[in-house]
Amino acid sequence: MIHFERFKLENGLTVLFHKEASTPMAVVNLLYDVGARDESEEKTGFAHLFEHLMFGGSVNIPDFDGPLQAAGGESNAFTSNDITNYYDVLPAHNLDTALWLESDRMLSLAFTDKSLEVQRNVVIEEFKQRYLNQPYGDVWLELRPLAYTKHPYKWATIGKEIKHIEDAKMSDVKAFFKKHYHPSNCILCVIGNFELDFVKDRVNHFFGSIPKAKKTSRILPLEPAQDRFKSKTIVRNVPADAFYYAFKMPERKHPGYYFADLLSDIMGREKVSKMYVDLIKKQKLVSEINAYITGSVDEGLFIITGKLNEGKSFAELDKEIWKILAHYKTTLISKKELEQIKIKLRTARAFQDQGLLNRAMNLSFFELLGDANGINEEQEIYQSIHAEDLRTFANHLFAKKNGVLLKVKKKKNA
Amino acid sequence: MLNRQVAPKLTPIKSIDFSVPEMVEIHPGIPLYWKNNIANETSKLELHFNAGTTIETPILASLSAGLLISGTKSKSAIQIQHALDAVGAYYDVSVSQEQAIVTLYALNSYLKQAFDIFHEAFTSVIFPEKEVQEICNERQEKLKVQLQKVNVLAQRKIQQVLFEETPYSQVISQSDYATVKRADLIAFHQKHYLKGLSKVFLVGDLSKEVMLEIKDACANFAGENLKPIKSEFTGKAHIFHEDKSDALQTAIRIGKIMFNKTHPDFISFSVMNTILGDYFGSRLMSNIREDKGYTYGIGSYMMENTHFGYFMIATEVAKEVREATIQEVKNELERLQTELVPAEELELVKSYLLGQLLKAADGPYAMLDLFSGVELHGMDISFYNKYIQKIQEITAEEIREMARKHLDWKSLSIISVG
Repeated sequence: MIHFERFKLENGLTVLFHKEASTPMAVVNLLYDVGARDESEEKTGFAHLFEHLMFGGSVNIPDFDGPLQAAGGESNAFTSNDITNYYDVLPAHNLDTALWLESDRMLSLAFTDKSLEVQRNVVIEEFKQRYLNQPYGDVWLELRPLAYTKHPYKWATIGKEIKHIEDAKMSDVKAFFKKHYHPSNCILCVIGNFELDFVKDRVNHFFGSIPKAKKTSRILPLEPAQDRFKSKTIVRNVPADAFYYAFKMPERKHPGYYFADLLSDIMGREKVSKMYVDLIKKQKLVSEINAYITGSVDEGLFIITGKLNEGKSFAELDKEIWKILAHYKTTLISKKELEQIKIKLRTARAFQDQGLLNRAMNLSFFELLGDANGINEEQEIYQSIHAEDLRTFANHLFAKKNGVLLKVKKKKNA
Repeated sequence: MLNRQVAPKLTPIKSIDFSVPEMVEIHPGIPLYWKNNIANETSKLELHFNAGTTIETPILASLSAGLLISGTKSKSAIQIQHALDAVGAYYDVSVSQEQAIVTLYALNSYLKQAFDIFHEAFTSVIFPEKEVQEICNERQEKLKVQLQKVNVLAQRKIQQVLFEETPYSQVISQSDYATVKRADLIAFHQKHYLKGLSKVFLVGDLSKEVMLEIKDACANFAGENLKPIKSEFTGKAHIFHEDKSDALQTAIRIGKIMFNKTHPDFISFSVMNTILGDYFGSRLMSNIREDKGYTYGIGSYMMENTHFGYFMIATEVAKEVREATIQEVKNELERLQTELVPAEELELVKSYLLGQLLKAADGPYAMLDLFSGVELHGMDISFYNKYIQKIQEITAEEIREMARKHLDWKSLSIISVG
């Protein structure tokens, strides 16, 4: 059980506080309700580029990282298709420094041309390093537009193409800030050995005077129901043929989300899953195979991915994959296996909760979904799932017209 | 009224509480360290074996580690995995140059059961031929992917040149897989695992009885616990570039053999290294990422082994700025060697390092890792008090001296691929 307090400032900032008496450190986490899904299709990669600019100095403080490091702390951030999350970890007695820095960059950025120019280059190198200069690195740049036709999940957080980043203008940057970076679009979470009154006082001191702005409602293009199975083949300089089956799964708040998550754990289990045993051990069809979910806020993807062994064909694989999916549609998962997965989930969760930062990020994310207390209810939901739920769910999930397939074919003489 | 231009007052860290785990001897010279005041139900057991890649060949070390619970006469790999799953345990093995570490994670009420399952599987493993073939296939496929990455190629190459003519230079090649025989794996396991235990770390709110039972069971794996043989390195600096026409970036590694914690310069060198490239505001990051935009990231590191350490600068940059980047690294080293670090920068780094140490000592898991870092060198936790004191005292002149003494440009190997 993770106890927390919640309060709201007049300007709309939501604040969560979780007391942890055993640590000399403090965590300050800010989740901004903006991600790549909020970009326009002509200017993708912007939420992430913007995350970089948030470290380029704010209106009253020329350098973000310097003062935090001088306080013995460290900071970083990440952007997803749904959110942009910033965090600071520092000695608890210097909490003010983190609140001072974060409040100033929420108030306004410095917006220097130099910062924009440099971060454009940095992000372009990141694009190359992570997506283009790696075998299979561009898979998600291909898979997203295959699976989504209208919804902005059809582009990756890094952006659709490098050109969008090259073309980013200062006026775009300013407009983006104004729209998304203000108190009512943010959830602040503080963890440390403090008292609630103290946290209220310090947060008010630094964030209280930031002007209120209206939270814009999000109207995203709805993804039309898929009506047929789609597949695409790309040829790349890779060492082995790889496959990515993606099935549309329910959004984060839907009960089906938990079914999908548990089912992916069962199907993706290393060494013992049916896919592993049948395709790796028995048939020697693939050299690796895995299943996982994207875990997005809106309708997500259930992925089955792996690599073919030399001399095996996509057609052979396809036949076997559908056999396995048919198995989950018709056969109940044994009680024993379900129990195993559930206790593994309990272990994993206990270890995750060890980390202060993890707790802060999770509390903030559940608050975004509607209630931070969701963090305390999740285990019960998983533990109450029955084999029948999963079988019923598999029938919806693995309907053929609900899926897409991306094949990455090895270039000849590669 | 809040004046946002004025930074809040900082409170410096003066001292940190370090706690030492309880120690029991498994066998003379083979300790079990136990941290038992855990406020939650997590627990972890780490078994360290002298079974790293340098003890024989990397291929044998890597495959035996991967097959430790691959099946016994009476139980298959799948059955063993199911048994571990049934108690919700996670099992992991990692292999470094000198050690192989088996880790079990479980809820504390299940740790002993997880250990018993592991113990039986590990003691009676027969390395089934089928499992050997499977892992070889899987690893070969993974290696193919790795060998397409410029950072991996540069890392392998610098390892080969820095450690040339010693076991530390060995890397796994595709052709090694064809040479593996089941009998060699069995022999490796007999020698380096069943008699190769070097130490055990245990974290978890467990009863003393459970701890002692684990200790007694581990005694079976005790052997001579010999330290790695000391290697003589050539110390030659190599410059090497491999062009890859289809690469979009070039990976750069710049490094040399260095010392570890046992050397009197270690702490001062670490402070200098932090200024150079070991935090987000470092000089390499500020210049090469934040000013020039050549890269997504650049850093410098100190790695440690039993008898030595090594120093490494690593980055991936746009192809056309490879030479410019190397030149900037050289400039930054020269600046450290000729100019004194400004007081403000030095103060910042001191506070940063103390804050990071406070974090590294936060919680039983972190504390045990910190302890492990000194235990490896036969030192005790008082090292960190010396570290705090040295950081507080170090001067800009000493920083300059460290850069001059240890980072002569001509002594560094420079590898680039891409």
